[in-house]
Amino acid sequence: MSLKSALESGKFVVTAEVGPPKGTDIKKILHESELLKGKVDALNVTDNQSAVMRISSVSFCKLLLEMGQEPILQMTCRDRNRIGLQSDLLGASILGIKNVLCMTGDHPNAGDHKEAKPVYDIESVQLLKVVAGLNAGKDMMGNELKGATDFYQGAVVTPESNPIEPQLMKFEKKIEAGANFFQTQAIYDIDKFKGFMSYARKFPVKILAGLVLLKSAGMANFMNKFVPGITVPQNLIDELKEAGKEKAMDAGIGIMARHIKQLRDEKICDGVHIMAIGAEDKVPEIMERAGLL
Amino acid sequence: MIITKKRDFKALLENIANYKSFFLIGCSECASLCGTGGEPELAALKIALEAEGKTVTGTMLPKTGCQTLGTKIELKKDKDACAAADAIIVMSCGAGTQSAVEIFPDKPVYPANDTLFLGNMTRFQMFDERCSLCGQCILDQTGGICPVTACPKGLLNGPCGGTNEGKCEVSPDIECAWVRIYNRMKKINRLEDFKKTLSPKDWSASRKPATRIAREEKKEEKK
Ligand code: SF4
Ligand code: SF4
Repeated sequence: MSLKSALESGKFVVTAEVGPPKGTDIKKILHESELLKGKVDALNVTDNQSAVMRISSVSFCKLLLEMGQEPILQMTCRDRNRIGLQSDLLGASILGIKNVLCMTGDHPNAGDHKEAKPVYDIESVQLLKVVAGLNAGKDMMGNELKGATDFYQGAVVTPESNPIEPQLMKFEKKIEAGANFFQTQAIYDIDKFKGFMSYARKFPVKILAGLVLLKSAGMANFMNKFVPGITVPQNLIDELKEAGKEKAMDAGIGIMARHIKQLRDEKICDGVHIMAIGAEDKVPEIMERAGLL
Repeated sequence: MIITKKRDFKALLENIANYKSFFLIGCSECASLCGTGGEPELAALKIALEAEGKTVTGTMLPKTGCQTLGTKIELKKDKDACAAADAIIVMSCGAGTQSAVEIFPDKPVYPANDTLFLGNMTRFQMFDERCSLCGQCILDQTGGICPVTACPKGLLNGPCGGTNEGKCEVSPDIECAWVRIYNRMKKINRLEDFKKTLSPKDWSASRKPATRIAREEKKEEKK
């Protein structure tokens, strides 16, 4: 089932993500993808995540299609100007890629090619408009396309961004620009997230709550300190600590499973986006413990 | 003004290794304010070159180094000193350096400075980049704060996910441009502007090299 049909069917949707490696050895990512096959509804393929140069997102999306999976093409504006972006979108379309997640992209400063020239010719809101245009058979300049695209358009939002007001105004711009679904930045406080959802529900878009697997108390503290827009509440950090080093990952899986269950049982949002960050093999277990498998 | 910083002296010495005598040109505008090409810096470079066994045939501080014709006229009084020099060293921005290249078609000209950006002097010799000369100003739509310059990604429609309690994801030393814009728009009651989606910029407006003949426009206007 396509991501669009899954979301529109009203089922609780699960997406996860895989990051293509640096280099041509893809055994590991193929194995992870295989593990998730038939379990998640769609798989994001990151686009040179954290500005670290890796295999292109489009190429791996194509391999996922060949495996019979539903890929979500992440597209950032960091590395391509408007000509490159549109050209790659048309390319993705003829390969059969149906979902595109439009993002601005981390600055090269965060990555392993700090001397790169950042492009940002356009940005996330404008890219969503561009995709809507391609879907309507027109390029950015209004030139007629010989064959339109048919993308299901995704975007990201950070529900715990601080300050929140400009973030929400941008969220609304993204909806206006054509976003159909959102995957959020990681959330850990379900009550706070309910607040965001009661606002977001006013709009005709599907929302997948972003969940990042906590592997240790140290990781939680690190994210609190260094990752903007993510707050892990103290009670969860304590829970990881109490579990002890050996069992921390297990506790993290338990926390995520519990959150997923609550989000689904209370119908808080339309699904979840699981970011296991290096522990993709744990996703089936998480889903099982959440009662999804 | 144009912000400059001194080039590494060793690199300059390598540039001029084959020459013996020099005429030095500064600039009384930006480079003086930056402390890279005023009277004190001209004097200091003269001493430093002499310490390396070089000869300085003269120094000159034009009013505005990038004003090519004016600088040429001002240099008339230094004709002999210039003629006696093997090469010219310019202590201004890259534009001033290229005035000298035009004025001295048959002499080598070397820059003493690196040219960095168009900046505001916020305090004595403290500079901030606020405009990157994009050719099509959008300050009217961004509360008077330029995101093309102040946001490292040049975003036009609000903060990215990396914004962090008013700081930028790229460096905690940078205030997030879009939080500043939001706060200012709120203060001046223009949040309506924030809600409007800005279109992609027309980068053809900043295509290089640019030229402009303003005086012809004036003539047209008079007609
Ligand atoms: S919008 Fe362009 S012209 Fe206006 S301040 Fe910014 S860079 Fe300068
Ligand atoms: S944090 Fe703010 S200033 Fe920095 S790149 Fe993002 S939007 Fe731009």
